Amino acid sequence: MTTLRVRIRQSLAILKGLAVTFRYLFRPPVTVRYPEVKRAAVQPRFKGRHWLTLYADGMERCVGCELCVIVCPSQAIYVRAAENTPEHQVSKGERYATDFQINELRCIFCGFCEEACPTGAIVLGREYELASFSRDAMIYTKPMLTEPYPGASGRDPQREV
Amino acid sequence: MSQLPPTITLTIDGRTVSVPKGTTVYNAARRSGIEIPIFCYHDRMPPLGACRMCLVKVEKMPKLQTSCTLEATDGMTVFTTTPEVKAGQEAILEFLLINHPLDCPICDKGGECPLQDQAYQYGPGRSRFVETKRDFAKPVSLGRVLVLDRERCILCWRCVRFGELIAGDDALKGFERGFHSEVNTPFTLPVKSKFIGNTIAICPVGALTAKTYRFAARPWDNQPVASVCTLCGVGCALEFDVRDGAITRTRARESPAVNDIWLCDLGFFGHTYVHHQDRLRTPLIRRGGGLGEATWDEALDVVARRLRAAAPGRVAMLGGTRLANEDAYVAGRFFRSVVGTNHLDHRTDAPPGGASLLAPWGMTSSLADMNDADVIVLVGCDITEEYPVIWLRMKRALDRGAAMIAVTPKGLEIDRFIAHHLVHRYGSGAQVVRALLEAMSGAPNGAGETGGVLRDAITAAGARLARAARPQILIGRGALDAPDGAEIYGLLRELAARLHTSVNVMRGKGNAFGAALAGLLPDAGPGGRPLAEVRHDLESLWGAAPSDAAGWNAPEIIEAAGQGRLDVLYVAGADPGTDAPDRTRWTEARGRLPFLVVQDAFLTQTAQMADVVLPALVAPEKDGTVCNIEGRVQRLRAAVPGPGESRADWGIFAALAERMGKVIAYSGWEEIFDEMRSLIPGLEIDARVPRQGSRIQDPGSRIQEARPVDGADTDFPLILVLGDVLFDRGAMTSRSTAIADLAGEPWALFHPEDAARCGIGEGDATVVRSRRGSVAVRAKLSPAVLPGQVFLPRGFDAAPANALVDLTEPLTRVRVTALAPVAGGAEGRKEGGGPL
Repeated sequence: MTTLRVRIRQSLAILKGLAVTFRYLFRPPVTVRYPEVKRAAVQPRFKGRHWLTLYADGMERCVGCELCVIVCPSQAIYVRAAENTPEHQVSKGERYATDFQINELRCIFCGFCEEACPTGAIVLGREYELASFSRDAMIYTKPMLTEPYPGASGRDPQREV
Repeated sequence: MSQLPPTITLTIDGRTVSVPKGTTVYNAARRSGIEIPIFCYHDRMPPLGACRMCLVKVEKMPKLQTSCTLEATDGMTVFTTTPEVKAGQEAILEFLLINHPLDCPICDKGGECPLQDQAYQYGPGRSRFVETKRDFAKPVSLGRVLVLDRERCILCWRCVRFGELIAGDDALKGFERGFHSEVNTPFTLPVKSKFIGNTIAICPVGALTAKTYRFAARPWDNQPVASVCTLCGVGCALEFDVRDGAITRTRARESPAVNDIWLCDLGFFGHTYVHHQDRLRTPLIRRGGGLGEATWDEALDVVARRLRAAAPGRVAMLGGTRLANEDAYVAGRFFRSVVGTNHLDHRTDAPPGGASLLAPWGMTSSLADMNDADVIVLVGCDITEEYPVIWLRMKRALDRGAAMIAVTPKGLEIDRFIAHHLVHRYGSGAQVVRALLEAMSGAPNGAGETGGVLRDAITAAGARLARAARPQILIGRGALDAPDGAEIYGLLRELAARLHTSVNVMRGKGNAFGAALAGLLPDAGPGGRPLAEVRHDLESLWGAAPSDAAGWNAPEIIEAAGQGRLDVLYVAGADPGTDAPDRTRWTEARGRLPFLVVQDAFLTQTAQMADVVLPALVAPEKDGTVCNIEGRVQRLRAAVPGPGESRADWGIFAALAERMGKVIAYSGWEEIFDEMRSLIPGLEIDARVPRQGSRIQDPGSRIQEARPVDGADTDFPLILVLGDVLFDRGAMTSRSTAIADLAGEPWALFHPEDAARCGIGEGDATVVRSRRGSVAVRAKLSPAVLPGQVFLPRGFDAAPANALVDLTEPLTRVRVTALAPVAGGAEGRKEGGGPL
């Protein structure tokens, strides 16, 4: 007697669960068919590919201080600094980064580098399509990271830190 | 004397602390593990109380006290963490940061900055100062290595006091007052110091930074490697900071027995040669007139074939001062047991028959003994140029009341610290030392002069010497290699015997002591033991024994080569082309030498003439041990890998042995060192090995009478005095760019009177010419050199001093002509050794 009652309760539970399944079967999907279909925009606070931003006058914001290097929990950043000269003034002040690399495979997109940066040079952008057929290509070098023109990364080049 | 100073007891933060009377509160706290923040105090210098950071509260004192200047007294109660103290510390830090630019992101000190650390730990974390900060032009370049940023300076005066109290060179000074105070050199001229790197090290902020390290790395990028400096004989302990396989900077490592916490600028900035593009990467073989790249197999085959073909007695080896102990030992083993020759010598720069070959190189006193000396007798040794860090110890002794008696053929940089400075005519050193000995025994000296020195001065020096209780006697190359060097050395031994001490022979750069210890001497095996005595041990270890007959020493090897009595000369870690006392003699010897092998890191003057060049590692790339001038064995650690195919020196000898059908197999330096320990008693890392004195004959039997100094020569009126300088431009130093810049163009020092007579002025391009050859140098004028003499530094490849020397003459006589278009300049121009 008790066995029969248990069996009935179990069958009802299955039907109840399947009802949810069938309900969603005929609704439009939440996901998109990536990569054929892409999302219109990510959230404003989304953390994607890094950019090294410029001032409005084209000077690099980065001074090569390496604070991003020491704060990075996955040790994805490499910086080598050099001295500005009057003939070759790259950033404001005495120091600039002559070499700047980020290993995008190591990066966990935590955004600590952006928080640590004293000049607001490094920012995490919106791009998330970071894939490649080789590991080497995933080490982003300074020319790849530097925004092509002031504001290209989507940040205001006039902003104060 | 032995009684302990009375102890006093005080309470710091509730903890009872007992310290000797005279201790400051700061030191008492530190001793009991209580940390008090501080900037201006440095434990190598007396307290100053300039930064006010070390404030503490003392019971019954109305105001906060600076603990660094406050002497602890019995029963004192001190608090270091009360709200009052905390408020004081915060106020001081807020004040210090008012004018500090806080440009940490671009500052080289960032990450290892005491101001940064203490501002985090003790600071208020905010500032009420909104006005404009103090504004100085920055950065200011003070010479080749130093960069000054006055905005960052917190005016702790550590650097200024280092120059006043420790180095004695007054390189940096304080200027202006109050708000405008700044540290600088007079007129912002390039800083003149041999120790300026230390001020960078002790600066608690980023006010003084090194140009060579500018923005090269952050402290967390650097991998420190503890090693030893081998650029002079002092063997200072240092740390190489390595980033990405390259040395970014050099820092002093604390070593109380050797360098304390200091280095000289050669040690700080002289290691960039390691990464120079001119480093040899592959073996070179001479083919059809030029040196061409070859493989190791080809090069070793050629060398092994020539060594096999030559009779053992017609093979010789020179060099060793740039080798580690293990390299030198394996070199000795290779040449004695595989080749079968005893013609080995590391003293490539010793003149024949001179005192340099008689005296055992190295010190019998320890470096630490220098601190306690009451009289220092310095003969023919320019201590700041040759062994600069030893000067810092001497300075301490002088500060405690010691007197220095210097007998030199030229004035020294440290003149004002020398109580009795006897600057004599070159070649008259023995007369002066003899007069000094006579004066010491109280013999009447009379008036007049001896060797250009007033007899009164000698009498005064002798009287001081007679009262010496803890004397130190040092003889340097300037006396040993002088025409009367053997006599000076003999007299100093006599003096030492009378004062119950011994003579420190300040001779040998790099690992010269270790080369002698490892057996790179013609008449002694490892440990300096005579060949006949050591033969048995070597036979059991090496399987083959060297003969007992002493080989040729370095000048004899060069002479034998010149007479065609040599088939193969193997030069390892040496540059006889530059170092040999007489270049003409070396060039002739090379001409008659069928086969020359050079094992070195650069294409040195010697390597350029070689038949085979083998690329070797340099000291920062080696693991092993080296000895310093007092015989202390220290550990060398490889900081970086060698370039290209370069190999460790001992590995090259082992590979050659294999090609000659013998086995020299070691797993690494440790095994070689263990084998050396079985032969050399007392050989332990960080211990001192006694100087090897057994091979010296009684000087009486071999000392020649001083060669007579001939009369004046009207064609060549000036007498040439040679000497070593700290900053030169040799094979290695010219490739350490900072050192090459500090050295500048080749120069010579003239007395203003001579210069006026020859029509030359300060900075003129001149040609110094002897009967043998000529060199082009810039003239410097100074009364430090005596009239009638000219001082020419060794070590400049572009102006090789040994090209002027003719060893058959006791003194080298020269004349000087200006290259500049002055009266008679056309003739000078024709003579010139090319434009400068």
